[in-house]
Amino acid sequence: MNTNLKISNVTKIYPGCVANDNVSLEFNSGKIYALLGENGAGKSTLVKILSGVIIPDEGKIYLNENNLKLNSPLDAKKNDIGMVFQHFNLFETLSVFENLIIDSDEQRKSLREKIDSIMKKYNFSIDLDIPVLNLSAGQKQKVEIIRCLIRNPKVLIMDEPTSVLTEQETSELFLSLKKFSEEGILIIYITHKLKEVMQLCDEVAVMRRGKLVSVSQIKNENIESLANKMVGQNLKTIKKRKTKTSSDQLINITNLNFISEDPFETNLNNINFSVNRGECLGIAGISGNGQSELFQVLSGEILSDKNSIEYNKNYIGDLNPQERREYLMAFSPEDRLEQAAIPQMAIFENVALNNFKSSNFFNNGLINENKIKEHSKKIISDFNVNTDNIELKSQFLSGGNLQKLIIGRELITAPDLLICFNPTWGLDVGAINYIHETLIKINEQNKSIILISTDTDELLKLSDKISVIHKGKLSNIMNADEVTSEKLGILMGGGN
Amino acid sequence: MIKIVKRDQPSRAIFFLTPILAIFLTLVAGGLIFYIIGFKPFEALKFFFIVPIADMYGFSELLLKATPLCLIAIGLSFCFKSNNWNIGAEGQLTFGAIVSGGVALIFYEQEGFYILPIVILAGAIGGMLYASIPAILKTYFNTNEILVSLMLVYVSKLILDYLVVGPWSNPEGFNFPETRQFSDSARLPILFEGLRIHAGIFLALAAVVASWFIFYKTYLGFQMKVSGFSLKTAKYAGYKGKKMIILVFLISGACAGLAGVGEITGPIGQLHREVSPDYGFTAIIVAFLGRLHPIGIIFASLIVAITYLGAETAQIFMQIPKYTGQVFQGMILFFLLASDYLLFFKIKFTGLKK
Repeated sequence: MNTNLKISNVTKIYPGCVANDNVSLEFNSGKIYALLGENGAGKSTLVKILSGVIIPDEGKIYLNENNLKLNSPLDAKKNDIGMVFQHFNLFETLSVFENLIIDSDEQRKSLREKIDSIMKKYNFSIDLDIPVLNLSAGQKQKVEIIRCLIRNPKVLIMDEPTSVLTEQETSELFLSLKKFSEEGILIIYITHKLKEVMQLCDEVAVMRRGKLVSVSQIKNENIESLANKMVGQNLKTIKKRKTKTSSDQLINITNLNFISEDPFETNLNNINFSVNRGECLGIAGISGNGQSELFQVLSGEILSDKNSIEYNKNYIGDLNPQERREYLMAFSPEDRLEQAAIPQMAIFENVALNNFKSSNFFNNGLINENKIKEHSKKIISDFNVNTDNIELKSQFLSGGNLQKLIIGRELITAPDLLICFNPTWGLDVGAINYIHETLIKINEQNKSIILISTDTDELLKLSDKISVIHKGKLSNIMNADEVTSEKLGILMGGGN
Repeated sequence: MIKIVKRDQPSRAIFFLTPILAIFLTLVAGGLIFYIIGFKPFEALKFFFIVPIADMYGFSELLLKATPLCLIAIGLSFCFKSNNWNIGAEGQLTFGAIVSGGVALIFYEQEGFYILPIVILAGAIGGMLYASIPAILKTYFNTNEILVSLMLVYVSKLILDYLVVGPWSNPEGFNFPETRQFSDSARLPILFEGLRIHAGIFLALAAVVASWFIFYKTYLGFQMKVSGFSLKTAKYAGYKGKKMIILVFLISGACAGLAGVGEITGPIGQLHREVSPDYGFTAIIVAFLGRLHPIGIIFASLIVAITYLGAETAQIFMQIPKYTGQVFQGMILFFLLASDYLLFFKIKFTGLKK
């Protein structure tokens, strides 16, 4: 039977922001729909409305001509709308089976049979009796999908499902989704990744600033055309110019280990690598494989054996971040709002966080506010931060602008080495482009970069050499032009 | 139609206006309460807020009460600005009073210029020691400083109780729960004959200036602020975040301890059961009403001090319990928090829809 889902004139207004502005869309089963947009474009609000989490201010939802009243997630479930969120909603310590039956009132035994038959049909192999915390991200997602399938949904909504998956897991997911679609389930796929849209979907709806800007067939689109629709302007493509790599070694890590007392952290096991001047070393991996720990060890937030880090012929393993900055190292952590910046403080105060000796922010224990402000103004103009008020609290900067401020703060004193961790995570395409250009530029100035990232496309674009971190161990270091994203995917998943 | 619109950024003017709005609303609500329980609102408010400070004696009493409030609130502002929720200033005050009182008792038969500084220092150290308990537990054992500091208040009050009833009670005091009188050398000098205002006010003013300087002018103050917002950021910046937390607790403990010294070595001159009418708790309201800013805290401490005096006059002239003072303190905090909403949102009046 055909399924027809209609969104009619949906509007949702939050104080200060129109999340959905009179959005109307129609979906039919048998096709896979992409809902594409940057962060903050309103796509999450729209799917939350479809799944009953948010109630719209205006507008109606029709499923097969029936007007749905979705006042809670339960209403959505009752109306056969299934949803898999970006962040898993699973009880880590319960078994897979317990997680699956938790919101069902069917008999255990018949459910078990049903689950077995679903798994067989779609070729899922998951042990139902082990706790969820032992599963990989891809398996956890399958559990979420099974949980939806048990209810025989007419509509399945996937919100940014690949952000935690490896390349292989992603292609497995796509196969399953295609199968579901053939069986008549209407699939709505939310993403900001253009490549996936091209690979998977049949039709694409693009949202920008709460408004629906276009609905079109995938066969009439390409990556550039979609990107332009998403951002609303033409983007230039950037590419790294291949330069000769120098053999002048800047940093050399030998036999670096870190053993954590915290069970939620990953131990680092015998890390060895070196980076030459003017070079960008990319470190790939699925998040949670020791990247955060590696970053902290490199920045000095976690101290290590003095001799394990040799930097410009000095041994600095036992120095804290402030002391390492004296050696012209700079660090851009992953978490912009909780670590790299303090949202409640003004822009210029955030600039003062990174205190290179040469910048003279503090003299004899006193704050040199003029110097800090002067410096901040320079960062804002040099790095295109979209504000002219350095007294503004940094929480009022968009993610992209805040990241430009952070990268600018780190780079304006011309450090020899920049270590950055997921520098473009969650940013819109325009800001990503700008950051990428900046990183390429500093390589051209013979400065080095260690780029820890979970985005393989970014790594392939920017790195000269690439290594993969898996369970706290680093793979061999490869030349970037000999590596494909497929190969990285295998290494990220722990293969050879 | 009334519409609520989010501000692009918090309004600076509103930031300083909301405390005034809160006080105004408190007066309106207070008047209403008086009216409901059968008093003439304006007359009652006059008894509460104007009569008590209408003469020199009243004014001196106002400063006397504002002194500990201001001193403690300044100390607390270090903690609160750096997101450390020390709500046990009352305990730090009490413990400071115990230690300085103990030292004063050692010298009870002696005179000498050196005694007062030692007594003052002892009070500050006592407060610091007591504040270091929640600080160390927080930094090294991840305990919640709100619970620890609050519970320690009751511990310190029981210690004081035990001391003034037991080992330290005045041998010639007919079993009254109080110690001997301190010697004159251990007393903070009274500033004006016949009034009770004492030199403790200079300690408070010094604290105001010092806190302003540390917070707005020094690298140390900057580091404290950063550590308070995020230990992760402090670590990333290369600061010693844990030390910062301990430091702000020590500063705030020292201030509370000094307030305790002022209470016992000022007009009273001995340790007894009730060294403080909850100044340590009320100072939390003062700190927030003063927007954690040194100058703001001066004004806030004066305003809140009136509620103490007003409650006493109201008890005498209107026969209502002095706890009315706490009702007013509560209302001020309530209205302040409520009007903080206006920092982030504005109310827009638009024409009727269609």
